[in-house]
Amino acid sequence: MDLRPLVLALGVSASCRGREATPQARYEARVFAGGVAPPAGAQQTGQNPFRGDRQSAVEGERTFGVMNCDGCHGGGAVGWVGPSLRDGRWRYGGSDGEIFQSIYYGQPHGMPAYGGLLPPGAIWKLVTYLQSLEPPANVPTQSWK
Amino acid sequence: MTRMRVLTLLALLPIGGAAQRGDWPMPGKDYAATRYSDLREITGATAGRLRPVWTFSTGVLGGHEGQPLVVDNTMYVVTPYPNVLYAFDLTREGFPLKWKYRPAVDPNALGIACCDAINRGAFYADGKIVYNLLDGHTVAVAAATGKELWKTRIADLSQGETTPVAPLVVKHRVIVGASGGEFGIHGWLKGLDLETGRIVWTAYNIGPDSEVLAKPGSFQPFYDRGAELALTSWPADVWKNGGAPVWGWMSYDPDLDLLYYGTGNPAPYNPDQRAGDNKWTASVLARRPEDGTLVWAYQFTPHDSWDYDAASEMILADLAVNGRPRKVLVHFDKNGFAYTMDRATGEVLVAQPFVDVNWAKRVDVATGRPVIDSTKLTGASRGNVKDVCPSLEGGKSPASPAAYSPRTGLFYLATNNMCMDYQATQATRIAGTPFIGANTPYHAGRGGHLGAFIAWDAGAGKKVWQTTERYPVWSGAVVTAGGVVFYGTLDGWFKAADARTGEVLWRFKVGSGVVGNPITYTGSDGKQYVAVYAGIGGDWFLLAGDVRSDDPADVRPPADFMPDIGRHTSQGGIVWIFAL
Repeated sequence: MDLRPLVLALGVSASCRGREATPQARYEARVFAGGVAPPAGAQQTGQNPFRGDRQSAVEGERTFGVMNCDGCHGGGAVGWVGPSLRDGRWRYGGSDGEIFQSIYYGQPHGMPAYGGLLPPGAIWKLVTYLQSLEPPANVPTQSWK
Repeated sequence: MTRMRVLTLLALLPIGGAAQRGDWPMPGKDYAATRYSDLREITGATAGRLRPVWTFSTGVLGGHEGQPLVVDNTMYVVTPYPNVLYAFDLTREGFPLKWKYRPAVDPNALGIACCDAINRGAFYADGKIVYNLLDGHTVAVAAATGKELWKTRIADLSQGETTPVAPLVVKHRVIVGASGGEFGIHGWLKGLDLETGRIVWTAYNIGPDSEVLAKPGSFQPFYDRGAELALTSWPADVWKNGGAPVWGWMSYDPDLDLLYYGTGNPAPYNPDQRAGDNKWTASVLARRPEDGTLVWAYQFTPHDSWDYDAASEMILADLAVNGRPRKVLVHFDKNGFAYTMDRATGEVLVAQPFVDVNWAKRVDVATGRPVIDSTKLTGASRGNVKDVCPSLEGGKSPASPAAYSPRTGLFYLATNNMCMDYQATQATRIAGTPFIGANTPYHAGRGGHLGAFIAWDAGAGKKVWQTTERYPVWSGAVVTAGGVVFYGTLDGWFKAADARTGEVLWRFKVGSGVVGNPITYTGSDGKQYVAVYAGIGGDWFLLAGDVRSDDPADVRPPADFMPDIGRHTSQGGIVWIFAL
């Protein structure tokens, strides 16, 4: 829902006028991998056409290395400066379409948008690879002797 | 201390400010980066009575590297991203805030910074606090009011550049650099105008002489001859993404008018992709701060094949070497060798290993080059090279600067006792994404302990004492005229040790692992205080991701070489102050 008409009707804009000298920062942009913006109009939802396909997972794993995903998410996607992608938990949603969206458009804490470099099929194979990873048995409990 | 030396130290205080003798106005305490304080209330006899007098949660969980500043009874603290700047009033009970400054910082920087969202601190000069935001901006803030005076974009996130480095201010020049050795940046140093923030000069660390600012007649390296050294030591065009970031510490000799800094690794980690020496990566460079002119340079690790950044501090001291008094620069490199160099010329006087080293047999001081063990050379064509010592965390991390006491004549530093296997792979440069090409698992070195705190005689090139630690030691050091040296451990102990013997006199558990650098200063009551950050992070956030508790969508296994660090510490950001 777009709240702007409501905010204007309440006269909030007038009370904000005194703050024009210090505009609020807006960082909605993503980093584009290779500097190439993703084409608009990628599907918002959808099912992974390669879900469960072992050969696609192998190809996705290769892409995970070639496209430098492992440089942030770690080898085997165990987590590095970027979060773990094999713990069965997802910041931005773990459905087929949500993982696809995160890779295609990027995410605001530095996840680059790869939609300008990778065709949708290659992204789906990355999704297939990530979905093939089994969470380690000790999540969520860690204990010491 | 001689009268001459006191005068020299006073001359090293920054311009135009109100900094007093008991203050801590810049990252390394003074331009020589000694991290030495002539305060002497806390001694070997009294250190056992230290107690915490104040703590403050920064509200931020990233790795708390760097150190506070204290100037004119005010303590200034910069947090990791989002780089909040706090100013505490040390004259009032409870040290309440005078102000805090919360800059707008692009959160994309979190994914472009290689190794946690850290910041290495601020610099006080001319009534201004100057520091870098992670997203490629330098800001100057009025020390009295917290008002932003200027903000300059110095770096480009889209090219993999981030800016955790602490600036150095010399003669109205603000000197800054950028990280990004893991992102294939084209490394540089910039000089800004202190009054306006305008970028006055840019000096690249690699590339043609015209961009490196290696001018005929001005540039005289001790060991190298010829022109275009930083171009001809690379394959064509590869230098454009060749790394050489600037993320460590800078120092300055006012008599020689030389600014010293070290450069990071060449990119990518796979050396097969960059034949040649790859100058001036993994090097020390000496420049004129006014215009950036390069005066000399020396490469510690030619054609670095192990990610041995030379970003560690260059400590300036006057030492006897082979019986002769010399004006030296002392540097503890990630590659495991401690270098004592003539800081006027760049000649290596002493180079000895301060930890176990096996990638090189020794450094030939006649040629300046390491004598490399060819079985430890890496590259995608060489497969998995086993057991290289030290690991790429470094014999000492540049993140944890050493201290030098002119009273004992010794250097004090945190070290790592780790080795690695190194499997290089072909890497592809995609702007804004990592450019690495190596898998490098670690294991403990000889003895099984992962770290140690040591004292080093840089004139002789010899270790004087060592205290082993269970975990890698990643904290900076401060040493005092009271004969006490302070450091912290990764499992969260803050320690005071006897500077002559290493005997631990006192310790306190500070709530999170220490990766920051302790300082000491005189309070408004005239007493000596010691301050340090707790807040594990930096590489340990990556390597031991189980110290994280804040994100329910990010649950990681422990590090295989250090499976129990999560038992002793979690992330956290706390400023601690101790006194007698």
